[in-house]
Amino acid sequence: MASIAPGSFIPSLKPNQTFTRASNFNAVSLAVNGKFFPSLKLSSAPSRFRVSCAATPETVDKVCNIVRKQLALGDDAAVTGESKFASLGADSLDTVEIVMGLEEEFGISVEEESAQTIATVQDAADMIEKLISKN
Amino acid sequence: MLWHYCKLGLKMKMHCFTQKMFCTSSLSPLQLPSRMETHLWYVLPNEVKSQSLLSQYVDLLSPIEKDHVFSMRGDELQKGALLARALVRTTISRYQIHSRVSPSSLVFRKNIHGKPEVIWEQSDDWHPPSLHFNLSHTSSLIACGVTVGSPIGIDVEEKQRTTKNNILSFAKRYFSCEEVKVLSAISDPEVQRHEFIKLWTLKEAYVKALGIGFSGAPFNTFTIRVGAANSNPEGSAIVVVPLEKPTNLTTNWQFAQVELAGSHYAAICRQNDGLSGGAMEVIVRKTIPLVEEHHVTTIDPIVPVDDFS
Repeated sequence: MASIAPGSFIPSLKPNQTFTRASNFNAVSLAVNGKFFPSLKLSSAPSRFRVSCAATPETVDKVCNIVRKQLALGDDAAVTGESKFASLGADSLDTVEIVMGLEEEFGISVEEESAQTIATVQDAADMIEKLISKN
Repeated sequence: MLWHYCKLGLKMKMHCFTQKMFCTSSLSPLQLPSRMETHLWYVLPNEVKSQSLLSQYVDLLSPIEKDHVFSMRGDELQKGALLARALVRTTISRYQIHSRVSPSSLVFRKNIHGKPEVIWEQSDDWHPPSLHFNLSHTSSLIACGVTVGSPIGIDVEEKQRTTKNNILSFAKRYFSCEEVKVLSAISDPEVQRHEFIKLWTLKEAYVKALGIGFSGAPFNTFTIRVGAANSNPEGSAIVVVPLEKPTNLTTNWQFAQVELAGSHYAAICRQNDGLSGGAMEVIVRKTIPLVEEHHVTTIDPIVPVDDFS
């Protein structure tokens, strides 16, 4: 019985594709007012050409570190602004713990409504900037 | 091929008492749960190793589901996502619902709050059953609960799950005052951690049963009260108590907690129709989709810990 070899998980469909870096297609899931929309596929544009969001790179980095720690991913794990919490393996308990970690790190308070709309690291960073600027 | 899979099944380590084992090369039909039963299915990813079997699972999925599976980061997460969809599709299609339903023909959508549901084919001469399901997974176990006539929410967690935050800090931030008091009263940190995990799964199961999302029912707006085992022999020992008035949170729900595979706590929440005398009848089956299932006959119902001294 063959066990799964890394990188050849589903040979008939994605041969030799490894997922140690962000995938070539950028799937962005939009969550607006708690409603979940199917993923949109963007062409592979580098993140610096995206429409600029409010969060600074420093904020994004801090969020990435908190996420890495919570999900025990290792310091060199590829976590970027576009990383989706669900795709990184975060379940609901992880997400709540991440939000708590963000509250402590940034001195903010996150409403449950806002917490539900966070799907990516970037979403979290943008929300943090908004909450900080309100303080 | 079938014999090979059966032999494979016999070699697997069992963590639970089992009564009957079926080798299901195709999908043999199942009786729908009665209105008083809750069916709970689970699969252990560690026991699914065959690449050809996993490829068969991929073939069951819709294009959107395939995209979702491949968007997961790494083999283990992809496998978990794949098994979850395979479990739901194979399980639901087996209930004797309609001859034209196959695992791959099922169509799912999410309600406006994101809760998945089946869209049944409508026709003049056939009315779909009121079948409800809910999924939950951890990295090491994926579970699917099925009911007829009642919304259902389930949540599973590893018994060994730890939190990065201090448990009481976490509870103070997210749980109700009464729940914090209950947890604070537990002096043994390990017992406290286990009770925290169990309470988390109960609260998650309730919110998922409601189907209105985490923000529709913030955890600190309701208490899950776990009564002593002998306080109410007729009724359920677990009740939900909304804390705000007025509230959109309903209370006609019943709860059950079971241990699965010796390694996980599972909480189930479904509507209380007042007929079943309180205790939820849960039928647990361990399965490998398309291959086999084991009816687990000895479940350890989790007895509420009522003495924390």
